[in-house]
Amino acid sequence: MSYPELPQPVLTNADLEKIRYIDHKGFQTKTIYTYFRADGKPGSLERALDRICRYAEDGVEDGFSIILLSDRSFDSSHAQMPSLLATAAIHHHLIRKGMRGKVGIIVEAGDVWETHHFATLIGYGASGINPYMAFETISDLKQKAMLETTLSEEKLHYNYIKAVGGELLKIFSKMGISTLQSYQGAQIFEAVGISRDVIDHYFTGTVSRIGGLTLDNIAKESLVKHKLAFPEVPVPNPRLEVGGVYQWKLRGEEHLFNPQTIHLLQHATRKNDYSLFKKYSRMIDDQAQKALTLRGLFKFRAGKSVPIEEVEPVENIFKRFATGAMSFGSISHEAHSTLAIAMNRIGGKSNSGEGGEDASRFHRKPNGDWENSAIKQVASGRFGVTSYYLTNAAELQIKMAQGAKPGEGGQLPGHKVDEWIGRVRHSTPGVGLISPPPHHDIYSIEDLAQLIFDLKNANRAARISVKLVSEAGVGTIAAGVAKAHADVVLIAGHDGGTGASPLSSIRHAGLPWELGLAETHQTLVRNKLRGRIVVQTDGQIRTGRDLAIAALLGAEEWGVATAALVTVGCIMMRKCHLNTCPVGVATQDKELRALFTGRPEDVVNMFTFLAMELREIMAELGFRTVNEMIGQTDRIEVREAVNHWKFKNLDFNAILYKEPVTLDVALYKQEEQDHAIDGVLDWKLIKAAKPALEDAEYVSAEFPIRNVDRAVGTMLSNEISKKYLGQGLPAGTIHFKFRGTAGQSFGAFGAPGLRLELEGDANDYFGKGLSGAQLVLYPDRTATFEPSKNIIIGNVAFYGATSGEAYVQGMAGERFCVRNSGVRAVVEGVGDHGCEYMTGGIAIILGETGRNFAAGMSGGVAYVYDVNASFKKRCNTEMVDFEPLEEEDVQTLRAMIENHQQFTNSTVAGDILANWDQALAHFVKVMPKDYKVVLQKRKAAALAEVARQSGEPVAIMTN
Amino acid sequence: MGKPTGFMEFGRELPTKRKIEERIKDYKEIELTLSDADAKKQSARCMDCGVPFCHNGCPLGNIIPEFNDAVYDSNWEYAYQILASTNNFPEFTGRICPAPCEASCVLGINKPPVTIEAIERYIIETAYSRGYVKPNPPANRTGKKVAVIGSGPAGLAAAAQLNKAGHWVTVFERADAIGGLLRYGIPDFKLEKWVIDRRVRIMEEEGIQFRPSTNVGVDVKGTRLMEEYDAVVLCGGSTIPRDLPIPGRNLKGVHFAMDFLPQQNARNGGRPVKGEEIWATGKNVMVIGGGDTGSDCVGTSNRHGAKSVTQIELLPMPPKERHDSTPWPHWPMMLRTSTSHEEGCERQFAILTKEFVGDESDNLKAVKLVDLNWAKAEPGKPPRFEEVPGSEREIPCELALLAMGFLHPQKEGLIEQLGVELDERGNVKSKHYQTSIDKVFAAGDMRRGQSLVVWAISEGREAARQVDLFLMGESNLESQELGLLNLATASA
Repeated sequence: MSYPELPQPVLTNADLEKIRYIDHKGFQTKTIYTYFRADGKPGSLERALDRICRYAEDGVEDGFSIILLSDRSFDSSHAQMPSLLATAAIHHHLIRKGMRGKVGIIVEAGDVWETHHFATLIGYGASGINPYMAFETISDLKQKAMLETTLSEEKLHYNYIKAVGGELLKIFSKMGISTLQSYQGAQIFEAVGISRDVIDHYFTGTVSRIGGLTLDNIAKESLVKHKLAFPEVPVPNPRLEVGGVYQWKLRGEEHLFNPQTIHLLQHATRKNDYSLFKKYSRMIDDQAQKALTLRGLFKFRAGKSVPIEEVEPVENIFKRFATGAMSFGSISHEAHSTLAIAMNRIGGKSNSGEGGEDASRFHRKPNGDWENSAIKQVASGRFGVTSYYLTNAAELQIKMAQGAKPGEGGQLPGHKVDEWIGRVRHSTPGVGLISPPPHHDIYSIEDLAQLIFDLKNANRAARISVKLVSEAGVGTIAAGVAKAHADVVLIAGHDGGTGASPLSSIRHAGLPWELGLAETHQTLVRNKLRGRIVVQTDGQIRTGRDLAIAALLGAEEWGVATAALVTVGCIMMRKCHLNTCPVGVATQDKELRALFTGRPEDVVNMFTFLAMELREIMAELGFRTVNEMIGQTDRIEVREAVNHWKFKNLDFNAILYKEPVTLDVALYKQEEQDHAIDGVLDWKLIKAAKPALEDAEYVSAEFPIRNVDRAVGTMLSNEISKKYLGQGLPAGTIHFKFRGTAGQSFGAFGAPGLRLELEGDANDYFGKGLSGAQLVLYPDRTATFEPSKNIIIGNVAFYGATSGEAYVQGMAGERFCVRNSGVRAVVEGVGDHGCEYMTGGIAIILGETGRNFAAGMSGGVAYVYDVNASFKKRCNTEMVDFEPLEEEDVQTLRAMIENHQQFTNSTVAGDILANWDQALAHFVKVMPKDYKVVLQKRKAAALAEVARQSGEPVAIMTN
Repeated sequence: MGKPTGFMEFGRELPTKRKIEERIKDYKEIELTLSDADAKKQSARCMDCGVPFCHNGCPLGNIIPEFNDAVYDSNWEYAYQILASTNNFPEFTGRICPAPCEASCVLGINKPPVTIEAIERYIIETAYSRGYVKPNPPANRTGKKVAVIGSGPAGLAAAAQLNKAGHWVTVFERADAIGGLLRYGIPDFKLEKWVIDRRVRIMEEEGIQFRPSTNVGVDVKGTRLMEEYDAVVLCGGSTIPRDLPIPGRNLKGVHFAMDFLPQQNARNGGRPVKGEEIWATGKNVMVIGGGDTGSDCVGTSNRHGAKSVTQIELLPMPPKERHDSTPWPHWPMMLRTSTSHEEGCERQFAILTKEFVGDESDNLKAVKLVDLNWAKAEPGKPPRFEEVPGSEREIPCELALLAMGFLHPQKEGLIEQLGVELDERGNVKSKHYQTSIDKVFAAGDMRRGQSLVVWAISEGREAARQVDLFLMGESNLESQELGLLNLATASA
């Protein structure tokens, strides 16, 4: 029996008609109309859902293979069901009847236009979707000449389908799913604000933690629209509303940051006027007639108040503040350093974000101000993560995900990557930077523990923090993070970071921090882990009341990002990605940066006001210290008289649950983690390196090594960076030789001046984050295997390495040089995904590669010795070209291969050098396309500069 | 947004004004219109802000970024639809609105703001010339009858909206032509009167009845109104001017601005001039009051051929730039120079008028002035002034025009007959635009006190929605802050 196949899930009107009337080898379609009576009576929608489920069941019994759900059957007395409800209802009904496998579900619906709509329909079982209103809209725009295009309607529809497909792939990849088939029916969603009844009946198995809308409420939502379509009184202005979901609009959705609150916050902080700030916070906090946040529905349960003088001072509270992770690159140097200075003034912590940090900021200015970000972020892109960078942090934050766009990394468009940013990020100016979705050294909680260990070695004075996002199950992950010896866990809410998020993520990804924080605190307390870890939360925290709710739900520290940015001038343009921020906040344009007017003192004022407001609430509730407040959820109650139909059925019991514990169970961070760094091999290395560390004298020594010796050289590098800063020691000052099997992360974050020579083999993460050190590896001299045919270092070698050299006699595992931005490495073969996301440096592979070589590679060069002419088909050429060798290339190859031969005594290298001219013909040069353009432009500019100085005109070709 | 970098590439350019020596010879409008290319360029400066403060700054909630974008795309019909969806009369505001939107334009933080008003005018004039502005009578009639009293911008807006909702609307006007202050207050050189006629024609074709020269309260009694109509909307304006009861007030040559300005508008319109004709020709004119009405007196006096024109103001001179106390996005307290000021006028500030001095035949011959020292205001208290000793002086003056604002609506007549309650300022008291009498509503200056045309239109629209709700129990008329698909406000 053959099945009709859909190449992709979005059906054109013509596609749909074919399916509607298909009659082929027993394949027929049953159309079911998804209307309900628009009488506004209770139960109308439910009856209609029963009807379509019954019809679907009949259809299957009658032998139909496809159920087509169509909402094209509405009229003045019948309204459309939401297509997702109809689809999920039938999907689950047929599952319960054991019939689901016999039919495919196709949806014809007008309420589908965004990617999220397609994703949810597919996630609840649809195989194909015809978004006819989206097509109508596109055609209408075209017919009214509202699109600046000469493309035909057909082509426009095609483009729309293609875009939806691309976006769907992105969603799948965020969730770690590779095929549409695996996504279909997977229903990996969390609902917020749907009642248990509706979930159990129609969205069976979906997480929905706070109850909410009933079927009749959902019907009412449809009827509001239906009534406008069939009005009883005239609608004088039938123009569609602009909506205002992403932008603030007077007649659109409410936003807490709006013209009034933005202005009040800026004015209050600039004038240092607390009464104005109170006006601002009242506007934010007073949601009596609205429900914009979950916390907006809460109120405090009164207690025995204490005099405000007895409440701990603002200075104590300051230490609990952090600003959000916004990279230099996404925001301007001026904005970034203003926040840093302010946070250093009050003893809070600013966050570098994931873009590295200019080393000049590590030193205090003569006037005492300090632009150093106390928190240095380590994200999947590992931009500028060097030993020196890690050394200059009070906290190292591993960003597992961003609250506003879980599953996605930072994206910096090429036009924002100027010379300076390129330098700080160890990347090429003009080339866009995309953080890979995952950390390539974290695929399990054990891997995360390893990275925590590596970072603790790289700077043992710093707290290690792990940033997670609010989602169902985050409590379990947080418990794992606590057991992996992190010092801090951050629960990020969904509504932060909105400037840099894709539109569909802004609206549909992530969850309020209230949910994730409550779950995290409860889980940690239940497992007696809460005392080992600081819990921090962020996501549009704007007022002292927000801080108090966060503390009562379990957070002893808070991040504030958007409000801090607004204070320094941000007016929520939502143009961060265009580089045109008119107030110099989120731009790298020189002219616009000059317009930045934010001042550290304004930021200090804002945090002071926040702390003052928190103290007032503490006094009122009777808390003298913040620590006493943590997790006291019984001091929160749900506001009375919440009677708006949209939210009167919410149930916050799960959020406000207080884990009953005995007095000896800690409710806030009280004990230090055991990081297990007291016995690491590096203590011996540091001792042996004393002459070098103290006087830069040459030292050498030999050590045996075992696979329990992890992150060897990392702590030593930390010592080098402390004393000799970013420059480190002269190359080869410290020469240590090891024999044996190295544990994970050998040479991680190795600093300049270090030469680590390993006879034997090494586990994963070899040379991770290498920052200037030299690594040499060859097999045990007594080994009998052929090195060039055997894997000698594990996966993910040189991940995020920024500089240094490496010579490896033997093959590397998968993801060799992933996100390398500066290391020059020679290896004799690599596994799959070699040089993935590379942005700089040189990789010479004197042997075979695995598949998908150079995927996402935007900088640096790779040379592959391709004797069998088999390489090119294993290379992912989406972003790279193959280039002929030039004189420069030949010189580089010769020098590095000679080094390789000299350091490792490699026979492969020896053979190549012996037959140099013939060997050269077998080298394939892999060059990223964008990178090449940028290099050419630079060369031309350099030539022009020479010409200008010599006074001769030259013709310059650029493109 | 048309062009993301537009604001970095183009500067603010206003429409060209006619040369002073040319324009003071007539009463034609001063501003020339933009060209297509200029309008497009200026609209390209709009940044399509994530939080469009202009949209909030406009009392009508005009959807400014959207129409700027449509202009950039030369999509005139769409631009007009967007504009018309929030503003019944862009041809009025596009000419005479002080543009609070521009004061709150985000670009204004550090650059000259977008020329929103000029773009608005360009859109509506283009829409008229291309025939997009057509009578659009409602498909169904509700059978309800509404009387709108007063045909100024508030009354016209209320009438237009109520008519759209399907009610039969009659607009009463005691003057001989429709328009209220638009017709008989604002000089032609700011708003030529064919602009009003053009709009009124369309409204008539849409089914609205206009009854000029009908003084409700005199010609039609309040009681009859209440009997005949299902609702009444009071839009009579704030017509009682502030007087200056000082010695010599009764001399010949001392007049209220609103006795002077309407006469010229009547002459321009070929209508009979009421009362004794007032001319500035050959006279030394003293305009007392530094506001817009004063400025209109300046412009009109110059056109009459006054010998000299002086404008004095009680308050001190405002700063030349935006003052600290009114930061962006507030309406800035600052010195404003109107086109009339450009045409020639001496402006003096912090001056108190002590006395009008007359000759033997009780003709005004001079005014006695004195300089003031203003003390810095204490918080919560009105600022105080004292006279500068020895600064008293007499300035020759044969025509003094009082332009010191308006106090409240006229009480005798309709207000007394209906018996609606007044507030402490003497304006009609209302809740959600409904007065103390159920079926009587109020809007515009009569309700909120003297204000801008744009506020009057806004008031008329908001009141219309309330009237519609009152008559029908529900309303699909838009409101400034209320979208029709707003679930938050949908009732349970």
